[in-house]
Amino acid sequence: MIVLLEIKERLKSFYGRFAALMDALMKFAVSLAALILMNGNLGYLVKLKNPLIMLGLAAVCAFVPYGAISFLLGAVLLGHIYTVSIEFALLAGVFLVLIALLYYGLQPRDGYWLILTPIAFALRVPFVIPLLAGLSGSLVGVIPVCCGVAVYYIMLYVKQNAGVLTNDAAVDITEKYVQLIRGLVSNQTMMVMIAVCALGILVVYLIRLLSVDYAWILAIVFGSVSQMAMVFAGDYLFGVQMPLQELLVGTLISLLIAGIYHFFVFAVDYSRTEYTQFEDDDYVYYVKAVPKVVVSRPDVRVQRINNPQKARRSGRRESEARL
Amino acid sequence: MLNEDKIKLMTGIAMFEKREGKRIFPVNRYFRSDYISRYMFRSFFSYTICYLLCALIWVLYHMEQLLNTLDIGELIEAGKYAAFLYGAGLFLYLIITWLVYRRRYEYSKRGMKVYMAKLKRLEKRYEFQNRARELSKEGGRHDRTSRN
Repeated sequence: MIVLLEIKERLKSFYGRFAALMDALMKFAVSLAALILMNGNLGYLVKLKNPLIMLGLAAVCAFVPYGAISFLLGAVLLGHIYTVSIEFALLAGVFLVLIALLYYGLQPRDGYWLILTPIAFALRVPFVIPLLAGLSGSLVGVIPVCCGVAVYYIMLYVKQNAGVLTNDAAVDITEKYVQLIRGLVSNQTMMVMIAVCALGILVVYLIRLLSVDYAWILAIVFGSVSQMAMVFAGDYLFGVQMPLQELLVGTLISLLIAGIYHFFVFAVDYSRTEYTQFEDDDYVYYVKAVPKVVVSRPDVRVQRINNPQKARRSGRRESEARL
Repeated sequence: MLNEDKIKLMTGIAMFEKREGKRIFPVNRYFRSDYISRYMFRSFFSYTICYLLCALIWVLYHMEQLLNTLDIGELIEAGKYAAFLYGAGLFLYLIITWLVYRRRYEYSKRGMKVYMAKLKRLEKRYEFQNRARELSKEGGRHDRTSRN
């Protein structure tokens, strides 16, 4: 444990030293991951598949805020969809504009959830997002996460129905819209996953704020359990199936990532909790103070007492002086 | 000579500015009502655009049905329903906007108070230093005159 804490302190000081660079690198990595996944899964706009263009876009993303990154990635997504079907691009575009105007019009600073959620879904660890959103933010995080889920399922729909979407000669345009909208809205897997995420964030957030010992760990565990329960409920009620292996592995990885986050952000020592009570004119205060776990960074200095090289050098100097 | 107290204070102020400045300073140019109504105005437009887009999708979805059974009465009914939906949604969205921006305004007012307090402390520090300098000068002149 001490070793881990020392590593944490080292990482913290490292981040402190190169904060701007690390932030830029993080944004670069996130947007590059998003672009690679988008090109791998959709990749209909061949020009954007050029690695140089991808790297260039990611490099631009490294220096702009997350809102602008979402905007850029949204444009790339629409570009891919547009190549397949103009009608679907219109629908996806309307959805993105709705999110941009109605939610991001209120200037929240959580555009990253909109990018991270589809990435986590594509990497088969969808359950980590509600855990992290519940631990780090407020309940409002439900909105961008759910929108991110919808964006992922829009992409999945395009991927699965690319053949049908491109083959537009056969169907009447109005009929096509009806088909598309029905295909999106009646996607029960999407609805179940939105419910899973919303419930996960709610449970994690509410338990995290409790003043019980180990609240964060309890929040992570109960959040995961409630998410799995919701998946089973979805399976039972709507017949939305999820491979059991994927579910278990995904949950375990999510638990691990949430555990790491917890360790880095909220390391407290409940065994040294102090309770105290005092009062002023208006209130009586019942205070519970939990100390943070702090380890000072090991400052290793090697002091050589018997340094043969130095001794030889100084010996030579002395003999030269004597001469 | 470097004054450590002053440097600490100024660093604190600069860090506060960097962290909170973007949120706090633009807000303080407005009265509360102006600030909130400005954003409510903006919300009104964005909601209207979104509503129109949704209406477009709805029309596309029901296009065939609309073209097949073009009944004026039914259209008027649908229009009334649409107007009701628009009004109710707009009301809800404006209330949310009002709540969000009221909270933000109050947050930045509080932040501004903290900022002003920090500046005042710095100003006092300057005054103290100036007075000390003047006093020492006066003392010096006094000494000189007494010597003469």
